[in-house]
Amino acid sequence: MSLLTVRDLSVRFRTEDGPVLAVDRADFEVGQGEVVALVGESGCGKSVTALALTGLLAPNATVTGNVDLDGTDLLALPESRLRNIRGRDVAYIFQEPMTSLNPVLTIGRQIGEVLRRHRSMRGRAVARRAAELLELVGIPLPQRRLGEYPHQLSGGMRQRVMIAMAVACLPRLIVADEPTTALDVTIQAGILDVLRHLRDETGTAILLITHDLGVVADVADRVVVMYAGRVVEHSNVDALFAHPSHPYTRGLLDAVPNPARHADGGLREIPGRVPVVREPSDACTFADRCSYADSLCRTQRPLLEPWPGGHPVRCWHPLPARQGALI
Amino acid sequence: MTVEASTLDIPVAVAPAGMRRRVLRRILRNPLAVTGLVVVCVAALLAIFAQFVAPFPYDQVNFNEPLRPPSGTHWFGTDSFGRDQFSRAVYGLRASVLVGLLSVVFSLTIGVPFGLFAGFYGVLDPVVSRLTDTLLAFPFLVLAVGLAAILGPSLTTAVIAIGVAQIPGVVRVTRSETLRLRGMDFVAAAVAGGAGDAVLLRRHILPNATNALIVQATVAVPGAIIGEAVLSFLGLGVRPPTSSLGIMLADAQTFVRDGPWMAVFPGLTIVVLALALNLLGDGLRDALDPRESRSA
Repeated sequence: MSLLTVRDLSVRFRTEDGPVLAVDRADFEVGQGEVVALVGESGCGKSVTALALTGLLAPNATVTGNVDLDGTDLLALPESRLRNIRGRDVAYIFQEPMTSLNPVLTIGRQIGEVLRRHRSMRGRAVARRAAELLELVGIPLPQRRLGEYPHQLSGGMRQRVMIAMAVACLPRLIVADEPTTALDVTIQAGILDVLRHLRDETGTAILLITHDLGVVADVADRVVVMYAGRVVEHSNVDALFAHPSHPYTRGLLDAVPNPARHADGGLREIPGRVPVVREPSDACTFADRCSYADSLCRTQRPLLEPWPGGHPVRCWHPLPARQGALI
Repeated sequence: MTVEASTLDIPVAVAPAGMRRRVLRRILRNPLAVTGLVVVCVAALLAIFAQFVAPFPYDQVNFNEPLRPPSGTHWFGTDSFGRDQFSRAVYGLRASVLVGLLSVVFSLTIGVPFGLFAGFYGVLDPVVSRLTDTLLAFPFLVLAVGLAAILGPSLTTAVIAIGVAQIPGVVRVTRSETLRLRGMDFVAAAVAGGAGDAVLLRRHILPNATNALIVQATVAVPGAIIGEAVLSFLGLGVRPPTSSLGIMLADAQTFVRDGPWMAVFPGLTIVVLALALNLLGDGLRDALDPRESRSA
């Protein structure tokens, strides 16, 4: 039994330019203590999916489907109940550590806020626990940091504080939305270490949203690939890197800078860009950018099904078979 | 990870100090703000201890010495009734400071909640904004005359009239700050952490709007002091023989030729006080900005 089960999740936005279908019947699971990476290009619905889980989207969004957290259907809960779940059972870490902390409150106050809110802690206990949390995420001199303001910390330190706030109540699921994108590479490694360490230490599951496949290979157990609002492939991380079945996944992997491939000239790109989907379509949304696409791809919606000997992939012509035929 | 930790552990020269102490220290390093602070403090002390500072009672008439120019006995000269202008100015200051502070407190008390709600709850926004516009379109003096007709001219009338006239400004600043802050990442992060509306408004939005409100209040206090002078000048505020800087100016206009000092000193007092408040406000704004405290 998975900790988080997402079934048929769709998100529609009403915008001035008409409706936008940001997430189209997404299905995926996150198991207890598992690190699941949600990958895809910018604009393919990763963040929207993550925010939709606990009802954090703007009022112009309509969310349908089923989000089950350990037996509770989150989409059916009223806002007041969701507030109790946010931060306590499901915690978020966002992309922008520089702006995600309140500039006029001390670090101690901000971590304390979460503890007071969800753990009903008061007085000295709050400060003691906050210091423990800072130590847990690898911030030296936690006692002194508690009294400091966000501007006195570097970006990496701030992201650690954000993580400390996220784990303050030992949530069952941490949603990390591109937690390392705004940071430089050495700091990234430190932050990923902290996340891994937390998972081992506290048993929390992590839904890691990223477009950095290096990060995925580094920390994820399983990978869910999204494209234009649809889940197009999911698998455990080794199988995905070894046998990418969807042409899009393959394209993503090929686009990763690799010295071995630099010989034949530069980086490979996927031509075109992510389309804006307005209505659920009967075609494969990747067909326009896919070199393997045929008339079947343009008229029939592929299903997310495991192909013989492989993992689930939403494609009429998954790669291993085709490659086998060609070689 | 460990490498990063050790390089980031730069010894901080300044011991962690309370926010208030740091603000005070930063004000004290700004000469203009110090000047403003000193003048405002002196004015406040004069206003509070007017009865001990003033060499004469403010209403003591002396027909033997009408319209005397400034001298050792009468520093600011005397008016047409021979009243000591310095004593009257000191008492006048009391009325000005009182009206200035109370009306700003009044407008903040009413304006800030309205601004917060209007900015935070989109549903309320049109209602509050239209009310604000209506109030703004209403002429200040007509409002003051109307209030004076109901309540009678008094210090309270002046406070309410000026305070009400300042509400739209407070609402607008609070509303626009709330709108701006509502979209900030840290507010989104707080929502994701389970914060309710009350926490968002009290802990995250209001404290970050403080700087803008301090600036607004800084503009408002001298404005209110001038407003008090205007109302008293027109006979809608403090009643004679009680002194106020506005009343002194009103009395002076008949004697501009024979006793120009009657207008000069109360006028200067208003100007200096307003200027000092503005300097102090600027200094406070800079000192309260946590982003600049790297240099502290």
